[in-house]
Amino acid sequence: MLKINNLSAAVDDGQKTILEGLSLDIPAGEVHAIMGPNGAGKSTLSYVLTGRDGYDVTGGDVTLDGDNLLDMDPEERAAKGMFLSFQYPLEIPGVPTMTFLKTALNAQRRARGEEEMAAPEFLKKARALAKELKMKPEMLKRPLNVGFSGGEKKRMEIFQMMMLEPRFIVMDETDSGLDVDALRIVADGVNKLRSPDRGMLIITHYQRLLDYIVPDRVHVLSGGKIAASGDADFAKKLEAEGYDAYAA
Amino acid sequence: MTHMPLKLDTLPTRRDEAWKWTDVRGRVDESAAGLSVAGLPKFTLPEGVTISEVETDDLDTDSAMAKLARNFGGKVWTIAVPEGFSSETPLIIEGLNRGHIRIRIDIAKGASLSVIEHHAGDAGGFVNIDMTVTLKAEASFDRTIVHSDPADCVRIATAHITAWNDAKVTQHALSFGGALSRIETRLAGMGKHIEATLNGAYLLDDKRHCDMTSYIDLAVPDCTIRQAVKGVVTDKSRGVFQGKFHVRRPAQHTDAEMRHDALMLSDTSEIRSKPELEIYADDVACAHGNTIGQLDESALFYMRQRGIGLAEARALLTEAFVADVFDDMDDEELRESLLVKIREWLE
Ligand SMILES: Nc1ncnc2c1ncn2[C@@H]1O[C@H](COP(=O)(O)OP(=O)(O)OP(=O)(O)O)[C@@H](O)[C@H]1O
Ligand SMILES: [Mg+2]
Repeated sequence: MLKINNLSAAVDDGQKTILEGLSLDIPAGEVHAIMGPNGAGKSTLSYVLTGRDGYDVTGGDVTLDGDNLLDMDPEERAAKGMFLSFQYPLEIPGVPTMTFLKTALNAQRRARGEEEMAAPEFLKKARALAKELKMKPEMLKRPLNVGFSGGEKKRMEIFQMMMLEPRFIVMDETDSGLDVDALRIVADGVNKLRSPDRGMLIITHYQRLLDYIVPDRVHVLSGGKIAASGDADFAKKLEAEGYDAYAA
Repeated sequence: MTHMPLKLDTLPTRRDEAWKWTDVRGRVDESAAGLSVAGLPKFTLPEGVTISEVETDDLDTDSAMAKLARNFGGKVWTIAVPEGFSSETPLIIEGLNRGHIRIRIDIAKGASLSVIEHHAGDAGGFVNIDMTVTLKAEASFDRTIVHSDPADCVRIATAHITAWNDAKVTQHALSFGGALSRIETRLAGMGKHIEATLNGAYLLDDKRHCDMTSYIDLAVPDCTIRQAVKGVVTDKSRGVFQGKFHVRRPAQHTDAEMRHDALMLSDTSEIRSKPELEIYADDVACAHGNTIGQLDESALFYMRQRGIGLAEARALLTEAFVADVFDDMDDEELRESLLVKIREWLE
């Protein structure tokens, strides 16, 4: 599904290399976790995968289902099914959440040559999902993320993810800022999306999230590449022992 | 009324402080359609409101454009709104396409009037509108301006509003500019406890120019003024905002706020702004804010990550930026029609 091959990337107009020869293969149906020290480049990887300006690829390639992702604009990648749950979700002043999401969903559908979703169907789906995620209905009318608490923003990311039903999901510290109840709700949502034709990459600092969303593989990102990998139990070891052993 | 052609040197130039960014003389030549003649506006009146043509040489101001309107505009279209009048139907003013036009609106005690002005000029046209509005005690005036001119049309639209006690003035102006355009609103507070909202937005492309100028002169206590103007400029266009609150010594407890916020969508566009507070009363709350910025790149990326194309993302953010100055409009349908125009412009 997602194949990252020998990827290098730099920020600061190419001045600062963050990723150096990172390779990772996430087959359809699997959930992989990435852990690693602050500043290791985890968020950078998420931005490179989704095509953010300022994160320059200096080598390697990335394919999703065989298609070269790196040649595509961010919106094309989204239409192909890439979704990033942001570490710091942005506020979109003046654009109501529902307007935003409906525009996004239908833009993706148009790009894929599918029919747009009609307003009543969209509303019905959104309402049911908001209930499931225990979100206040007013939140959907407010401008997206504006004035939301940290935890509310994270929940809103999951809400968007479940509305858009992407093929490949990158979650960047979605657990940070969530209370225990919210964490469980979010994890339930994510687990519901686990499916044989969907892949996920979960960036986290905490084993706690991985108790709820049990990963198939756990990797350490350090020195710009995958420094070590293991199964779900590996996360426990990392949390106990830290990353010193994998320092670049 | 003269029948001589207008002398170009009677037009304001950039050497006049109030016109330094809107050089009428520099943009007009003898070939301008309507330069030396009276215009022919069209009025659709709500029932109960009357109109007559009044001949007068009286002028309440000595401004250059008002003098030209007097010299070339002919009779004054005089509209009378009787005491206590109110109607769901607005007064609609059209035919503001060329020439000099003088309009006078008298709103009697306790009456309320809504006006919608459609400013759409002729190609190569010159339009000079001088409007005087008087609100007696407890009267209200709700004015909506929609302006879009061809790229070679020049327009100066000035309103002198005088408000007596407990009067309420609401104005929403939407402008897409022209070769050179100025929408100027002058409000004189003559009786206490006046409420005024003076909002506007300009969206300019190509080489269009729009100037929103206002002067609020308060000599009475307990007035509340809210002004919010949003600007969007792209290509080689130019937006001008000049706002002044003049709070005289007797105008105690004035509560006044002025905001001008503009988005520059190209490096070659221009914004000129001059917000001014001149305050002589000591017990007042007056504030102003003025910002010029660009669309938020991170927000754009976030939207694109969700699948929204760059052009649509820009349009959504820009619309949201501009639209809030129209949020407080009473007439939902009218508000929506302005938003549709904004969306069309953004496409
Ligand atoms: N746009 C940028 N300009 C300059 N430096 C950047 C930029 N983005 C990231 N960096 C730098 O790149 C390095 C990696 O940052 P990144 O955010 O990817 O780390 P991370 O692994 O996600 O860390 P954390 O665990 O704290 O979230 C850091 O040193 C950071 O300061
Ligand atoms: Mg990070």
